[in-house]
Amino acid sequence: MLKRNAIVFVMLVVVIMGMLAAGNYLDRSRKHGPIKLVGDVHNVPAPDFELSTIDGRRVKLSDFRGQAVLLNFWATWCPPCKIEMPWFVDLQKQYGKDGLVVLGVAMDDTESAKIAEFTHEMGVNYPVLVGTDQVSDDYGDVGSLPTTFYIDRNGTIVAKAVGLLGRQEIEADVKRALSTPYKPAVEQPSREAAKVKPSQAKEAAR
Amino acid sequence: MKRRLIWGLIALLVAGLALAQAPGEKQPSVIMAPVGNVQLHPGGSAKVELDFRIDPDFHINSNKPRADYLIPTVLKLNSPEPVLLVDVKYPAGEDMSFAFSPNEKLSVYSGDFSINTVLKAPATAAAGTYPVNGELRFQACDRSACYPPRSIPVQFQVTVVRK
Repeated sequence: MLKRNAIVFVMLVVVIMGMLAAGNYLDRSRKHGPIKLVGDVHNVPAPDFELSTIDGRRVKLSDFRGQAVLLNFWATWCPPCKIEMPWFVDLQKQYGKDGLVVLGVAMDDTESAKIAEFTHEMGVNYPVLVGTDQVSDDYGDVGSLPTTFYIDRNGTIVAKAVGLLGRQEIEADVKRALSTPYKPAVEQPSREAAKVKPSQAKEAAR
Repeated sequence: MKRRLIWGLIALLVAGLALAQAPGEKQPSVIMAPVGNVQLHPGGSAKVELDFRIDPDFHINSNKPRADYLIPTVLKLNSPEPVLLVDVKYPAGEDMSFAFSPNEKLSVYSGDFSINTVLKAPATAAAGTYPVNGELRFQACDRSACYPPRSIPVQFQVTVVRK
């Protein structure tokens, strides 16, 4: 009887701790106001893609191997995305010499000229690519914007953020992406092999 | 007994953790309340209030957002012959600022809102029931992220009744 009570007590403690941890996780995001970091995706290879820029050039993610990439999914109709843009402009200026490349992926369902007009008004100094459903799927179905992936010099995702982060957090993730030395021998996986699946991302976050 | 209890507790734990979904994972929803029986007499008109409810964690742009780059909430209705849609009145948006942009006010709907429409039947309209179909297009955001524009169906019936 005593033993059974002890087991029940331990299980209850486990349940309560689980609930507290869950509550703390939610509370932490509330305390940070707009911050919504959705786990780390350490060591998940970033799926390669080839997209058009708003001025018609073709760009592949793998073209930037050896550089750290801040890959930002955004849209013109997204006010939080607009807040981040001047920070990305500054970060590109500040860390470009260290090997940072900011890439914007516009998920607008509109013509490139309108996106270009918007980015011109915002003073964007980095390439803006026209997003597709395929690239959204490859990156785990990007359903909320902004969503930003931080990719190291070897094409590995070191962080993912959904929603607006504070500038300091963004800069910290940029530094993380820049901190990994480039290993040219690392073979990159094909798109199919590198597809980020939610289960894979969760696994990597553990 | 002990095993059942343990499984029960594990299920509770899993349920608790599932509730603690990561921010940004919940998708916005807007639902429409059913519209009651709308009756029209030939040559007459009727006001039809369409009531919508937005998920508490989200807001959507009003019909007149404060910036060109924002996507307005728009109701599109296809009124069947002989019923005519003669007016659509959107509520004024609520001016709100959000943590992501405390200095910028956005005109939004949140919670419950209603769109008032006026339908008319010409004097020659035949008696009968006519389906009105359409959609409400909106673009939602929460405190830190925004979601692609979506549409929900808007459907109700109008009955033309001869006096």
